[in-house]
This record gives sequence, structure tokens and C-alpha cells, in this order.
Amino acid sequence: MLRIRRAGVVAATAALMIMTAGCAEKETAGDSGTSSGPIRIGAVLDITGAGASLGVPERKTLELLAKQLNDAGGINGRKVELIIEDNQSTEDGAAKAMNEMVSKKVDIVLGASRTGPSLAMRAIAESAKMPMISLAANVRIVDGATWVFKTAQNDSVVLENIIDYARSKGWKTIGLLRDASGYGEGVAETLTELGKPHGITVSQVEKFAPDATDFTAQMINIRNANADVNLIWGIPPAAALAQKSYRQLGITTPLLQSHGIGNQVFLDTAGDSADGLVAPLGRLLVADQLPDSDPQKAVLTKFLADYRAAYNEDPSTFAGHAWDAFQLAVEAFKAVGTDKQKVRDYLEQVNGFVGVTGVYRMTPKDHSGLGKDALVLVTVSGGKWQLLPTS
Amino acid sequence: MTDLLQLLLAGVSVGAVYTLVAMGFVAIYTVSGVINLAQGEFAALAGLVAISATGSGLPLPVALLLAILTVVIVAAVMQRVTIAPVKRMTTLLSIILTLGVSTALKAAMLLIWGPEGHGLTPFPGTDFTLAGVAVRAQYLWILAVTALTAVAVTWFYERTLLGKALRACAEQPTAARLVGISIARASLLSFAIAGLLGAVAGVLASPVYFSAWDSGLALGLKGFVAATLGGLVSIRGAVAGGLVLGVLESLVAGYVDSGLRDAVAFIVLIVVLVVRPGGVLRQHSVARV
Repeated sequence: MLRIRRAGVVAATAALMIMTAGCAEKETAGDSGTSSGPIRIGAVLDITGAGASLGVPERKTLELLAKQLNDAGGINGRKVELIIEDNQSTEDGAAKAMNEMVSKKVDIVLGASRTGPSLAMRAIAESAKMPMISLAANVRIVDGATWVFKTAQNDSVVLENIIDYARSKGWKTIGLLRDASGYGEGVAETLTELGKPHGITVSQVEKFAPDATDFTAQMINIRNANADVNLIWGIPPAAALAQKSYRQLGITTPLLQSHGIGNQVFLDTAGDSADGLVAPLGRLLVADQLPDSDPQKAVLTKFLADYRAAYNEDPSTFAGHAWDAFQLAVEAFKAVGTDKQKVRDYLEQVNGFVGVTGVYRMTPKDHSGLGKDALVLVTVSGGKWQLLPTS
Repeated sequence: MTDLLQLLLAGVSVGAVYTLVAMGFVAIYTVSGVINLAQGEFAALAGLVAISATGSGLPLPVALLLAILTVVIVAAVMQRVTIAPVKRMTTLLSIILTLGVSTALKAAMLLIWGPEGHGLTPFPGTDFTLAGVAVRAQYLWILAVTALTAVAVTWFYERTLLGKALRACAEQPTAARLVGISIARASLLSFAIAGLLGAVAGVLASPVYFSAWDSGLALGLKGFVAATLGGLVSIRGAVAGGLVLGVLESLVAGYVDSGLRDAVAFIVLIVVLVVRPGGVLRQHSVARV
């Protein structure tokens, strides 16, 4: 658990003074957040455990953004207090942390990093009427939700890209090796559904635990299925170890990966074996290769520079999910203050917000707001991300 | 056929790592009746120390020695601080104490190395394909070193005076003390041996299976299940148990359902505890009183 201390001390003193002096003001503000004192942003992230390679850069991003914001004077004169909890990459950890956030009466909750923990938090957010922005992929996190939004691309959007790519290559069968946790659930079904109109089928589905290290068995079954193309759907390090195992067993079928691999950990772990894979990923990884006309170029370039200056490393696409969630929350607070109902209503009509992951167009039906264009096809060569030329 | 061989190779290789961890459980349990729940953490710690050492420029053999030495010292200190002062050790007490040490070690590793997992540089050698089976050089290292270690440990317990003294403590503590064997020193030595075995498992496994602050949990649990197959008191039983468990996992993942892989160890544990609490593969030679 981390707090931004400096802001905290100032803000706490201010809050104390206001509380003793102006009780009337608090009453008018009601239960849905005070209108003065620090704005409290809660974050529940997968900082340890299977999701660590996601949660750590997300935490760094949130800390960086909160510091920048407070140095610039905060939101409408109010400082921001960041409260980060680790859910240890578990569903029960996420639910517990979410309950703590609710009892601490934070103004919004960001997280979790992965689908499973996010789903565990969703029910609590809905019943406590707490605005929440998840950083995870699976569409079920926001499907039919009132209070929950998310910044990672929906898996269906990613799969549309994959189907498009398969069509352009003339591939008809796909072998799927997926994460056995929430992230991989529903992938085979969505892929089958999206592929049906184009005669593309899923010929084999294999699963692995998010913390798996040996993939021999799954790879043998994938090899025997002899699909036109294989898709690994997971996050590093598991996705990277699977990539290694695939090459090591000498499977030559073209290999696709999901948008779950967008960080340096993947490249470091997979090493040479990553060369030649194709994955639909956020633009962040190939920001320097984008044309200047790209609407996200400016946002991406600034985020890259800030993050590199602060941490001396490149941010991952997951860091980008955190950037978007934080900035969406800040936009909402700037526009409507901290009234939870108003924040929720504001988030639902966000239209054209340019983030790191994509350009957001939320609707009451779509709390993810990202379309197929939020991804570009990326390949790896010589240990570097390369934008795949559009054919 | 190729598939079966490939699955067997993967199974035997991971099984060898379970074997080393299982031998550590046995080494301690036979001497002092302590079930050391920090056994998996020994492996994780060794892997992480070795990764840091190679990262800071030390050659691999030096890094390995350093890692193993560190863990042996940690194990010995652990015995001195938490186990030795207890006058009357019960199984429950030992579980609580070692669980505490395990949690403390995990927290320390998390603080020092952070939450992300890493892999040690693979040992020298090139990967090759034999009759359609892809063989990693690291698999051969794991198998060879495990085999050597198992032989050495068996020889130590069955042929050397010191080893026999340790077994004497296990079988007749009072009689052992009467003939001049120090139980306290035997217990210390058993922890050092367990630390050594855990550390060897950790550095061997790290290039393939990765090391992280929390990777000791799964290793420890599976090593424990492997040791249980031999009734917790037999080195040979632990060797067989580890290999059987590894192969079983691999075959189940390959032929039944890859999602069931991690369930195998626990199903085996339940079956063994219900049907043969004394161990399925138990050898007649070692008897605990």
C-alpha cells in the first residue's frame, strides 16, 4: 500500500480544518463525496503473483501521473491522493481490496490489472455504486455494467483483428492455446463466432495456468492438430515461455499472440523465439514508427518521454491502460467534481478522448469505448517490436 | 510415439526437480520429525541469488556455488533460530514454525527481488532433436545432476558413519544419544543437507521453470507430495515419487486435459493419504519409530 505522502499531509491538514470549520458544506455535499479536500483515487492492481508484469508498470504509471498532477496544482485546486492496494493476482484479494476501497470512501477505483480480479471487483462496485475503471481485457467486465468501465481493448476487438489477418492470409483453421484464467475464458467461443461468416474454425483448444512453466503437453497437441495458424492467448511470463516452447519443439506453423504480451518482460523472456510472431497490439510499442498524422502520436510520444525520464525504461501497453484510466478519471473530476453519479454519467458519454490505448468513444451499451482501430498488427524482429506493413 | 517420448522427457525433467525438493523434506523429517514447509523457498531463494550473481557479472559456476552456499547458511540459521530452541517438538508446532519461516523468506525475496519472475542463464550446451523429440540441454543437466545427487545422498546415508549416525537419530533417538551422537548437531546437519538439496533444485530448475519470490510454494507442495509417496522417510521413495509425479502430470496434461495438470499432485496426495498413509513406494529398510 502506497500513498503520495507529501500531498497527503497537506491535504489531510486542509481537510481537518474544513471539517471542523464548515460542517454545513459537508452536509450539502452528501454521501457521494466531499467537494473539497483531496480527491482520492483508489487503485487495486495485480502487483504480485501471476499478473506482476502488468501491475508493476501500472503502479509506476499511476504514481507518475499523480505526482505530475499534484505538481501542476491538482484538479481545480484540489490535490489528488492515490491509494494503491495489491490484490496478489487473486480474485479474493481483489474483492477484499475493493471492499476496503469502498469503506475508505474513495472517489473512484482503478483496476484490476487482469480479468479475473476485475470480475471479482465488478459486483462490489455495482452494489456500492462506486465508479470503477478496469485495466483488463475481457468484455464480461463491463457487459451490462452501470458503474464499471474499462480501458484495455475488448478481446472481441482483438479477435476481429486476428480474423481479418487470417482472412488476408487465407488461413481456415486456428489452433488456440489459451490462459486458463479469466483472461482466456470465452476466447474460443468468440473466435468461433467471429470466424463463422468467413469459414474460419477453431480446430484445437489447449489451456495453461497463468503461472505455468512447462508447455510440452499442450504444444504437442497443438502440433498434432495441424491448424493453418496457431494463437497463444496469455500474458508474460507464461505467454513468453509458451512462445519459447513452441519454437523449441520445432513447430513451423505461423504463430499469433494476443494483446496480452505488450511489455519488455515478454521480449526478454522469449528472446530469439519471439522473432516472426504477429500480434494485434496497442500503438504505444511502435509509437516511433507511426506516421505523424496518427491522432495518438502526440499523447504516445509524451507518455514515452515522461515514463522513460522517471523510470529509465520503456512503458508497456499495460502502463498505457493505467494512463488512460487515470486520465479518464481526471477528466471526469475536472468536469463534474467528485459526485459519484455525475462521474459515472460523465464517463459514459466520453467521446473522442485520445488515450494511450486508443481513442475512446463510450456509450451506455459500450463501457470499453475502443474499436478495432485501437490496435495495430505488430511483429517482432531482432528483439524489437515492428509495425507490420498494412497489405 | 514421438509425442509420448516428448511428454515423458518433460515429465521426467520436472519430476527430477520435485525429487530434489522431496529429498530435502525426507532429510529433515527422518532426523527430527519436522515437516519443513520452507523447503520450496530454499529452491526459489537459490534461483534468485544465482540470477543476481550472474547479473552482476560473476561466471555461472561461481554464481551457482554462491547461491547454494547462501541457502545452506540460511537453512542452518533457520534450524538454530527456530527449531533448535524448542524443547518438545510436535508435528503441528513444526508446521507452524516452518510456515512462519517460509512466509518471512517469501516476504524478504519479494522485497529484494520484486514481484516479477526471472530465469537463470541456461547451463552450457546446445538444444538438439533426437528421433523427433526436442531435447533441451538444460533437461540433461537436470537429469544428470539429480541422478548424481540422489546416488550421493543414498551413499551418504547408507555407507558413511555420519549418515548412519543421522539414521540412528531417526530410528532410536535415545539410543543414539547414549552412544554419543548429538541430536542437536544431527538436526542442524539435516537442515544443511535439505538446504543443499533445495538449492540444487532451485538453480537447476531456474533456467527452464523460472524463479520468483512465490515459486517456492508450488515446488514445495509438489515436492511434499512426492516425499509422501515414499512415506516421508525414504530417499529412494522420494526419488521414485518425484519422477512418478512429474511423468503423471505431463501425461495427464497431454492426454486428458491440460487444465488438470496442477490438480494431479493434490489428487495423488488425497489418494495416498486415504489409501496408504504409510507411503505407496515405501522401502522396507528405513523404519521410523
